[in-house]
Amino acid sequence: MKQANLGLIFFPAFDWMISPGHPERQERLLYTRDQLTEEGLFDRPEIREYRLRMAEVNDLQRPHVGVPSIAKLITPAHLASAGGCLTAADAVMSGEVKRAFALVRPPGHHAMRIVHGIRGFCTINIEAVMVEYLRSRYGIKKIAVVDTDVHHGDGSQDVFYHDPNVLYISFHQDGRTLYPGTGFPNEAGSPAAWGYNLNLPLLPGSGDKEIHRLFDGLIKPVLDDFEPELIINSAGQDNHFSDPLASMSVTAHGYAALADKLKADIAVLEGGYSIEAALPYVNTGIILAMAEMDYSKVIEPDIRALRTPDPRCMTRVEQLIDQVGTIWRSRHEVGKMLLDKCGNKWQRKKGIYYDEEGIREEQLETAHYCTKCSGWMSIDTNARGTRYGDQSAYVVCLHRDTCADCQKAAYDDALRAKQSCAYKYILLQHPDTGVVETI
Amino acid sequence: MIYYLRRQVFFARALNITLLQFNGRGEVMLLGIDVGGTFTDAVLVDSGAVYAQAKRPTTHGEVLRGILDALDAVLDGADVTQIERVVISSTIVTNALTEGKTQPVFLAVMTGPGMNVKGCFPVEPYLVSGYVDHRGKIAARTEFNKHYGLLDRQSGVTVAAVSGKFAVRNPENEYVLAHELKKSGYKKVFLGSELSGELNFIRRTNSAYFAAAVDKTFEAFGKQVEWALKERSITAPVQILKADGGTLPLEAALKQPVEAVFTGPAASVLGIEALGAPQGKSISLDVGGTTTDIAFWDNGEPLLAKKGAMIGRYPTAVRSFHMRSVGIGGDSAITKLPQGFKVGPERAGRAAALGGTAPTLADALIVLRLADFGDREASVNAIGTLCHDGETTEAAAQAILDAALDVIENAIKEMLHEWSIQPVYTVSDVISGSDFGPQQLVGVGGGAPGLIHALGKRMGLPVIIPPGGMVANAIGAALARPTVAASLRADTTEGYYLIPESGKRERLPKRFNMQAAEEILSAWLHDKAGGWQMEGNETEVISREYFRTVHGYYDTGEIIYLRMQLKPGILYKITGREVAF
Repeated sequence: MKQANLGLIFFPAFDWMISPGHPERQERLLYTRDQLTEEGLFDRPEIREYRLRMAEVNDLQRPHVGVPSIAKLITPAHLASAGGCLTAADAVMSGEVKRAFALVRPPGHHAMRIVHGIRGFCTINIEAVMVEYLRSRYGIKKIAVVDTDVHHGDGSQDVFYHDPNVLYISFHQDGRTLYPGTGFPNEAGSPAAWGYNLNLPLLPGSGDKEIHRLFDGLIKPVLDDFEPELIINSAGQDNHFSDPLASMSVTAHGYAALADKLKADIAVLEGGYSIEAALPYVNTGIILAMAEMDYSKVIEPDIRALRTPDPRCMTRVEQLIDQVGTIWRSRHEVGKMLLDKCGNKWQRKKGIYYDEEGIREEQLETAHYCTKCSGWMSIDTNARGTRYGDQSAYVVCLHRDTCADCQKAAYDDALRAKQSCAYKYILLQHPDTGVVETI
Repeated sequence: MIYYLRRQVFFARALNITLLQFNGRGEVMLLGIDVGGTFTDAVLVDSGAVYAQAKRPTTHGEVLRGILDALDAVLDGADVTQIERVVISSTIVTNALTEGKTQPVFLAVMTGPGMNVKGCFPVEPYLVSGYVDHRGKIAARTEFNKHYGLLDRQSGVTVAAVSGKFAVRNPENEYVLAHELKKSGYKKVFLGSELSGELNFIRRTNSAYFAAAVDKTFEAFGKQVEWALKERSITAPVQILKADGGTLPLEAALKQPVEAVFTGPAASVLGIEALGAPQGKSISLDVGGTTTDIAFWDNGEPLLAKKGAMIGRYPTAVRSFHMRSVGIGGDSAITKLPQGFKVGPERAGRAAALGGTAPTLADALIVLRLADFGDREASVNAIGTLCHDGETTEAAAQAILDAALDVIENAIKEMLHEWSIQPVYTVSDVISGSDFGPQQLVGVGGGAPGLIHALGKRMGLPVIIPPGGMVANAIGAALARPTVAASLRADTTEGYYLIPESGKRERLPKRFNMQAAEEILSAWLHDKAGGWQMEGNETEVISREYFRTVHGYYDTGEIIYLRMQLKPGILYKITGREVAF
């Protein structure tokens, strides 16, 4: 079988929604399906369409711990969209295709490590599921995730925050003007992974020119410097000028040209809710670019509605290139300094709001460092108003290389938490197998 | 709520206009002709049985002569006034396309924005401005002043094909352009939206192009056939078999001649259906001289391919069966390899048992006593010349059979795999899966019995060999039902529904819903069939979709898409009989 340029896993989930009238509803990809079919893209020799396979619950538990459990929080649609990403990974790793696009829903980049319910339309972080699968199944180590959704991928940031082998870069509309309100340059990673989480908040109104300058001036050089084995694109499409939930000015052509430059090994659909005016064209553009076909003729019918960005948008881009470029270049020194400062333990407190279900979660996350291995983590979580009532859990997360001493320390810590009787659940996560033990 | 159901059969009102009332007992005389690669077969079916059958060599270059030979043989002594219908399955369109005997076509397309269509069509198209968006809104009209002079007819080009992206959502731009082309002197203009109501601009365009390209050849053929039948005092209407196993009256087929491509396999499938449609999940194998045609069946119905047929390297909107042809047949040549053998895809000619010069697969079957005809001694001698050192003749014959079965079994496995990996777009379809677990094999054709019994043994499946398989294709043609498929799409916010195949765009009636859509489309199909003097009282839904549309946080309407057809298949089953030719 000849290698195709692009493996396409198209899964519009025509029978899944969050609730009636919700932006995540059945027909979100209907017009995209119509456009792709009408263009004849599924027949092209450059493109091979795949039927997705369902993921297993353990696949989801490599990056996630659900309270009370992942199985009790998901629908079959989540196993399907995560499975679509695994199908994409297999297609690329087997060499059947050069790169792949998981054009699937439901999306995932707002889902964090600990899951109590749906936030930002997401329950399962499908990119994170794929990253951990690539590691367990194929032994891939260094991966870059470039998030081009208009919202800050706070879930992806949370999952990868301690991992220096995952470079997470997100550009998005400034958090002061848009959900989820995070994603500033100073959120650059925990001490052990400082500089591997790069946030690029753009001013509302930024368009093609701005994101391309940002890519050429910062993202591209950083990627070249990092030398990842694989590049993953969280391909949200709500930077589009017609998106109803955001205020940016990117066009389908701008997105396609970016996909062309980025040359991601695997792209995964995230947000994008201009289902008629943007998604059909942006997806056509991205698919053509990834399949190495001509995308120059992809132009939205209502392109006249596009406004010229305010000059301040470009000024912000230049500032970011400078400021975040410095974070990247000084990451080793600063990281070492931060590690020295915190000793063998680093903690952060998080207040997390689940907009979809009105859940308020308080977390205390502790990274336990070790000189022989990557250490381990413990997370103390309390959530009010989940669909299973108020929840509390103490979660211990091992890393893939956690040494025997640290494993013993982690188990002892979990047992201590159990004896304290302060939590409803004591859970211990094995990232390699996705087994979550109840202690 | 969403419906995404497939192939739900429902019975519509019986048709009032009934010209031929087939009552399932088969009381009329039907004439079927199948032009194959080697033989042209003709059958006359009367009162539910084959009344006469004939097999004559196909005359390549002049297909009609072979048809007339077979026709005269089968009509010998018959009362031709009793013939109610003539159906022809011919290679005329396939040959014209594969041999490049087509006429020049002016191809004009309205692509709008999107994929660059360079290289997507057999000829470079003329790009015309104007386009329609995915909701069927005219985003731009054609600016004819920009194309001044370019639409003028080139000398010698009399047919044109016109196709616009999303013309199935709104064909207006196509109509305007076709009108302009007719004004400038084109005799016939084929429209993409009329050839298929389904999305896929590239496939519709190729269908329209190929329809125009074979139009002249097909029309001439149709006229000759009509003339020849008239000469023989046959006044019954002539119908043409299509690749999807349905028939069309000749005059309707002239509007979409490309549908008459690849009818051989379709006729074979219908023949199998006529001789006793395989129940449950079955795989049929039509073993001919050079090839074996493999098809899948589910509860007596052959499965259609999910995508249209390919003509050369160009995808079209022509519907066809989920089939595959492999180069294994009774006359397959045998090549001796250092170890083992290779069978086919070349044809060696007749078996040694029948006086042929080279050993064939049939000879191996004769040696193994899986077939019994001709001179067995000759088969044994012929296979004997192929033995490896120390190999007995029986062992060599078995190894040859195994090599042939390998090819067929691999093709079946690939087809099963293809079926199981077809993408699905709903969670419930992912969960339910689409594995096709075959329960039995059905063999027809001259070489079938021995070969298919051996295959059944190997695959652990029971085997059925219905009698009368020798002229199955012509029987299939004789008994094929007329079919027509059409789509209806309604976007209730627009207030209209559209049946692209007819260009019919009407205001939505009050209380419009899926059921109302089915009634409208079913009535349209019956109306169309009535106009063509076709019988047909059963329509079925091929696919349907229902979506609520929301703007902001408010329901604004519904999108209903429906595709239906007059159910294809055969008019009634018959009892075949074995006749030696």
